[in-house]
Amino acid sequence: MSGQANEAPSESGSLLLAIETSCDETSVAVVRGGREVLSNVVSSQIDTHRQFGGVVPEIASRKHVETMTIIIEEAVREAGVSLTDIDAVAVTQGPGLIGALLVGVVAAKSLALALDVPLIGTHHIAGHIYANSLVGDIIYPSIALVVSGGHTEIVLLEAEGKFRIIGRTRDDAVGEAYDKVARALKFPYPGGPHVDKLAQEATEEVVLPRSWLEPDSYDFSFSGLKSAVLAEINRSRMKGEAPDFSALARGFQQSVIDVVTGKAIRAAKEFGARQMMLCGGVAANRGLRERLAALCEEAGVPLLIPPNKLCTDNAAMIAAAADLKWRRGQFSSLDLKAEAVMSLEDWSV
Amino acid sequence: MKIDEELIEDSGSVTVLAFDTSTAAFSAALVRDGSRIDSVASFAERNHSVRILSEIKELLERNGMKGEQIDAIVVGQGPGSYTGVRIAVTAAKTLAWAWNKPLIGVSTLEALALGAWLKLRTENEDLADDRDIWIVPILDARRGQVYTSRYAADHSGGWRTVDSDAIRLITDWAELIEDEGTEDAQVAAIWFIGDTPLHQAAIEAAEQSGTRLRMLAWDMDATALGLLGELKFRLGERHDVHSFVPNYTQLAEAEAKLLAASRGE
Ligand SMILES: [Zn+2]
Repeated sequence: MSGQANEAPSESGSLLLAIETSCDETSVAVVRGGREVLSNVVSSQIDTHRQFGGVVPEIASRKHVETMTIIIEEAVREAGVSLTDIDAVAVTQGPGLIGALLVGVVAAKSLALALDVPLIGTHHIAGHIYANSLVGDIIYPSIALVVSGGHTEIVLLEAEGKFRIIGRTRDDAVGEAYDKVARALKFPYPGGPHVDKLAQEATEEVVLPRSWLEPDSYDFSFSGLKSAVLAEINRSRMKGEAPDFSALARGFQQSVIDVVTGKAIRAAKEFGARQMMLCGGVAANRGLRERLAALCEEAGVPLLIPPNKLCTDNAAMIAAAADLKWRRGQFSSLDLKAEAVMSLEDWSV
Repeated sequence: MKIDEELIEDSGSVTVLAFDTSTAAFSAALVRDGSRIDSVASFAERNHSVRILSEIKELLERNGMKGEQIDAIVVGQGPGSYTGVRIAVTAAKTLAWAWNKPLIGVSTLEALALGAWLKLRTENEDLADDRDIWIVPILDARRGQVYTSRYAADHSGGWRTVDSDAIRLITDWAELIEDEGTEDAQVAAIWFIGDTPLHQAAIEAAEQSGTRLRMLAWDMDATALGLLGELKFRLGERHDVHSFVPNYTQLAEAEAKLLAASRGE
């Protein structure tokens, strides 16, 4: 009997179906082995919320209910797998809009019950960080700079799945500051990308203050900068002049980028990071990408940035993070509760 | 409202899983051929999302049932708490899709009303003549408003909708019901049921002589939901799983404001 073992190679990995509904995107993905994205369907509600000038939580929740099973079906079909092949269901447990999270959490729990597979409650920011593992290998210790509409954090990963927040915003998130400044510059919601573009094209710059906080702090504060922009606009108007929006956009962007990238690089040096990761929706900002890339190169720290569609909210990133727990057999109970506020560090493996 | 021998003979044995989270109660039931097999109710303050799937799982396991053995998923479609109704509807849609079972939405208010009537009809045989009894379910919707509708029942099993689900001011609504009840000598009694303690004063203020106005504080019992769902199922009603949404009975506040602004109000 010299029978060749005829088993499927175990490296092909498990199939995770993930659901993300923390804000205004309904997303479902099927990911194999935590790395291979078989499908990643994202249904954006942006056109709905644009007419309100921002995300309306009640409407976001209503939309999630409308699209939930349609997106699940699309993700399964696109992945070309059978529902019975799914090994576990992952879902964003928090943080986020509670009413929006609830829809995804209840759908995920229903699927886990119907398919009789484990459930994995997942931290949204862990998802943004582990989006990087969908495009490259994460080398530890690693510093993640998370910038989005709701978050601005510097996270140290000493080892796989071990999160330590070393800096966070004390007021507005970067994305939030961008949207507020965009509104002052008369751009429609969501205005962040418009500000980025205007700043890139500007020939002049109104120099605005940098908020470094205490010398050893990795925290951020953007509300003062936002106020400075508004004050500049007022000052021009008082003098009967039209404010130079492009010079202001440039000044705002330069201040944000200086502080954010400056602190990230300092953290990389202090903690001996072997890698820098840029993640979250604001990672699409061109000015930010370019500066961070230049600084990382100068410091000899490799930089990982996922493509845009993996930076904005999506379910594939949730599957990538959930895989950390899947491989360790760390599952959630069917009584999993959606959490508007949730600790990333406590979610560590 | 009747699931009789004849109907069962025509459409065979039917088992439904029914649940509702639109009110302060979480309620789930297994109903087969017009009778309750088992049910569960809990009052976790607006936290139905936590226990809903565990309760459903336990209900099924306790009765040795699996998803495949259920003929349809029946869900309370609201109106009620926005967040609450979304929880049951999302669970129902997802389970129905994953198990590939028909989905049947039932008005939360109608289930509330039928549940109360099934209790009242045995306890109030003094009203057992051939006149209608109005059952008016009310669920508090804040600022003096209620989610409500009106059903006409009789002791021989008749059940029909007089007014469908809407959000109304309780003072106006109670007055209208009482006015019509006085005019219409066919009404043997008027029962307001549901969140009555909260609106007792307004209902009492509307009372007119001769209508035999009654009140009953009443919570959702998913058995009644299951009975209504089973009947609909037997009559061939199905909802499309993907497009099924809660019946909120009103626009979200932001939508209402936008609409008003676009009309120049
Ligand atoms: Zn995000």
